[in-house]
Amino acid sequence: MSTLANQLAAAEREEVARGIRLLLARPLLTEAGDPPGFDLVRRRREPLAKWFDYTCGWSLVVEPRRGYARLAKVRADADASRPARRPRSGRAPFDRRRYVLLCVTAAELLSVPMTTIGLLADRVVQATAADQTLPAFDPVHRSERMAFVDVLKLLESYGVLRAVDGATEAYVESAEAKVLYRVDTTLLMRLSAAPVGASRLAVPPDEVPLRFAELLAGLVRERRYGGSPEAAGDGTMEEVRSEPAASDAQRNLRLRHSVLRRLFDDPVLYRADLTEEELTYVTSLTGRQLLRRSVDQAGFVLEERAEGFLLVDPDALATDFRFPDDTSTARVAALLLLEPVCAMPAGMLPEQLAEAGADLLRRFPRWAKAYQSEDGAARLAEDAVRVLCDVGLVRRAGGRVVARPAAYRYRVAETTSTGADERHRQGKGTRPRETASTTAACGGREEGDKQ
Amino acid sequence: MHRVPPEMFRFTTREGADLYGAVLDAFGAASERLETALGLDGVREGLRAVGWLAAVEDEDLHESLKQLVRWELLDVVQNHAENYHTAEEYERRNLQYSLTRRGEAALAGVRHALEVLASTGALQTAVLEAIADRLDELCLLSDEPASADRRIFSTLRELEGHLEALVENTKAFNGELQRLLRAEGADLEVFREVKAATVAYLQEFLVNLDRRGQAVAAAAARVEERGIAVLRERALRGAELPPVAGEDPAPGWLESRRARWAGLRAWFLPDEGVRPRIEQLHDIARRAIVSLLQVLERINESRRRSSSAVQDFRELARWFAAAPGEDDLHRLWSAAFGLGSARHAHLSHPDPELTPSSLPWSQAPPVEVSALLRTSGRIERFTRTARVRDVAAVREERAARARQERAELARAWRDLATGGPVRLSSFGELDPAVFERLLDLLGRALSARPDVTGLRRATTGDGRVEIALSPPPDDRTAVLRTAKGVLAGPDYTVCITAVGGAGAFPAPRAARQEVAG
Repeated sequence: MSTLANQLAAAEREEVARGIRLLLARPLLTEAGDPPGFDLVRRRREPLAKWFDYTCGWSLVVEPRRGYARLAKVRADADASRPARRPRSGRAPFDRRRYVLLCVTAAELLSVPMTTIGLLADRVVQATAADQTLPAFDPVHRSERMAFVDVLKLLESYGVLRAVDGATEAYVESAEAKVLYRVDTTLLMRLSAAPVGASRLAVPPDEVPLRFAELLAGLVRERRYGGSPEAAGDGTMEEVRSEPAASDAQRNLRLRHSVLRRLFDDPVLYRADLTEEELTYVTSLTGRQLLRRSVDQAGFVLEERAEGFLLVDPDALATDFRFPDDTSTARVAALLLLEPVCAMPAGMLPEQLAEAGADLLRRFPRWAKAYQSEDGAARLAEDAVRVLCDVGLVRRAGGRVVARPAAYRYRVAETTSTGADERHRQGKGTRPRETASTTAACGGREEGDKQ
Repeated sequence: MHRVPPEMFRFTTREGADLYGAVLDAFGAASERLETALGLDGVREGLRAVGWLAAVEDEDLHESLKQLVRWELLDVVQNHAENYHTAEEYERRNLQYSLTRRGEAALAGVRHALEVLASTGALQTAVLEAIADRLDELCLLSDEPASADRRIFSTLRELEGHLEALVENTKAFNGELQRLLRAEGADLEVFREVKAATVAYLQEFLVNLDRRGQAVAAAAARVEERGIAVLRERALRGAELPPVAGEDPAPGWLESRRARWAGLRAWFLPDEGVRPRIEQLHDIARRAIVSLLQVLERINESRRRSSSAVQDFRELARWFAAAPGEDDLHRLWSAAFGLGSARHAHLSHPDPELTPSSLPWSQAPPVEVSALLRTSGRIERFTRTARVRDVAAVREERAARARQERAELARAWRDLATGGPVRLSSFGELDPAVFERLLDLLGRALSARPDVTGLRRATTGDGRVEIALSPPPDDRTAVLRTAKGVLAGPDYTVCITAVGGAGAFPAPRAARQEVAG
């Protein structure tokens, strides 16, 4: 109606879109971590919660006074490309030690509103000593204390722990460090996003490695999609088929959520990675409309190609890292490596990769610092390949690294660029004429056929 | 004020309290059978009857009876009516015990205490209705002659009984409710059910509570109109109080009735400015519903981890400790915590809609990657601001293009509108854009099935323009020329109209199907 109303609606649309992307990048958004971002999410929490619930089936909880918003991301296919990271400069992924410590510490923190680092460490020592299956925590060693500090710092970054007095780092130097924490227990409980509690799936410890896939699948099983819980077990495909109990509505809901969750969370959604059912959904009229609408509402640009879908966020809000980018040697190397990988449709062998890595090191002598050692070239290539895997541009197949279709998106444009552009423009111009004559010919022929 | 005699409940706390309690119970049970005095054997029998099965030495039983006598809960009298064979037997068996007044009170007190402990409160709409009924009955009775005094008495007592039940039950229920609201932990599943049931119960009770409360108030007012004092006097007469020594019990009795009536008024018909307690009940119930629902919500929220979040974390720790590979660690992290970021591209095409979605990536134009990044491994930092401007420009350009296309379209339709049936050849020379539209329309019409008269009708995609096409009446060939080429075909008769406008198309003179071809 009025321009003011229009402008308000436009402002809301834009803010909601921004909020969606902020939360996609940070499922636990704290006021302390991003004050303007949190303020936006707080103000638009209702449309945001609705969007996430409808589109992805993810629940969004916003606690305005406690200062956090939590989007419970659930995905059927757990991926390894987004690990917990050590909150220090290298941002190295967590190792087994740290993951275990994180869980044990979280369990111990649940029962105390306040604690000191020393008391907490004692409890963790006791807890690991009491459980045969856990490696004992021994804060005598510096490396152990370092791991413990990484865990606590991560919890601090989530707002679960707040150092009231002292600084966590001091503990690395001395186990006598005095740090007082306040614990946000409710937030701690919200850290877990899995719809099924792990303790409900508890299996004997020696069976965990064998049944790991089953446990992972069990964690994220959602009852609302129907299907009997007894069907648990034999791999995902089996489960999908053995769900006759699901109603049509439940099936549709599951399809919508499973496709859109991956679209909104993953760098590239390849048609080849979808099940037949999901593919049918995406190509159906409703599925397509919904996909476009939700992408639009979230403020992404949809890039649809024959092989799949890709979301572009021009503001680079909804991503943990940008590619291509110059913030790390591996990422620059990754971009440059795309060229040779794309040039070999059959894939590159490790030796070829190492050779390409050596080429890069020759081209950029500065990089050699980080990759000085004998296997530097191979390591560089390996790191670059990991980056490319993480953004869905290559995959490993039987020892080779093979380009995936979206890799061609970043091919060198210098020769093809203008040509393609030119061709494109011409194509745009000529197409109608072509269509016209085809139609005319068709018209006549059809008429003839009918007689 | 009233003070409980010091020894009265001593028997419940002393050593051997079980036996004392059982003995008193036995006396209580006996007095219900109108046996007021029991000998030692009688007490034994009574003990068995109240469920005391352990063996008791005569000595002990005797001792506890003596103790109860000392506490003035029992009276002891000698029984000379029996025959005794030995002195010892006489000494022990001739004693007959009976409850003192204090003993009766003590027994009643204990029983009541146990009852309260075991009772669950309730809010019964039936009680409210019963109160209203009794009040109505009193109203009727007050008009009847003196013969109805006894019925007035019994009705009044019933009324008081119901009121007492209401007060007691409400008190107990409220107590329970508050305990329920406070209680946390325990078995969440059970709690959830209890609370959900309580909410349903309260809601049920609240329905019509106002109306019932008002009914009672109105009935009480009617009774008062007829004179509550007179009614009380008549009830007193109907009560036929037994004669007792000392002062006249009547004033005390009347006072007690007055107090009860005041209680009734406080609940339903208080003086000006005071809220009736039944309304407070309303508030309490409503508040309880709200807070119970909140608790329920919280329980539901935490229910999926009700097995205890602590256990979940411990189990996860075990899984992490036992995960097969490094990637599995990260996958478990991702599945259990869902804290990972989304990951998306940030480079897009200047105008993404220019590339058809059916093109594979290898054929679609690549995105523009900073040349500097490829050559020197760095990105020009100004690119970011530039991009924002680009988007606006592209949007503007696209909007302009859309406007232009719309205008062209409108012009084309204007040129094509025939205003009646014409031969195709009459179009002659056409602008390419207009020609395209015409072809589109012809194509649509030709792919439609002819109706019975041989007429083919079709509309454009937006439904705004309609074409009706009939087979050519002769074998003439229509030749249409445009700047881009020439089209030759059968010379159809066409009628192009904007939908909604006039433009009837006359039926073709003959439906000669074989004309075209």
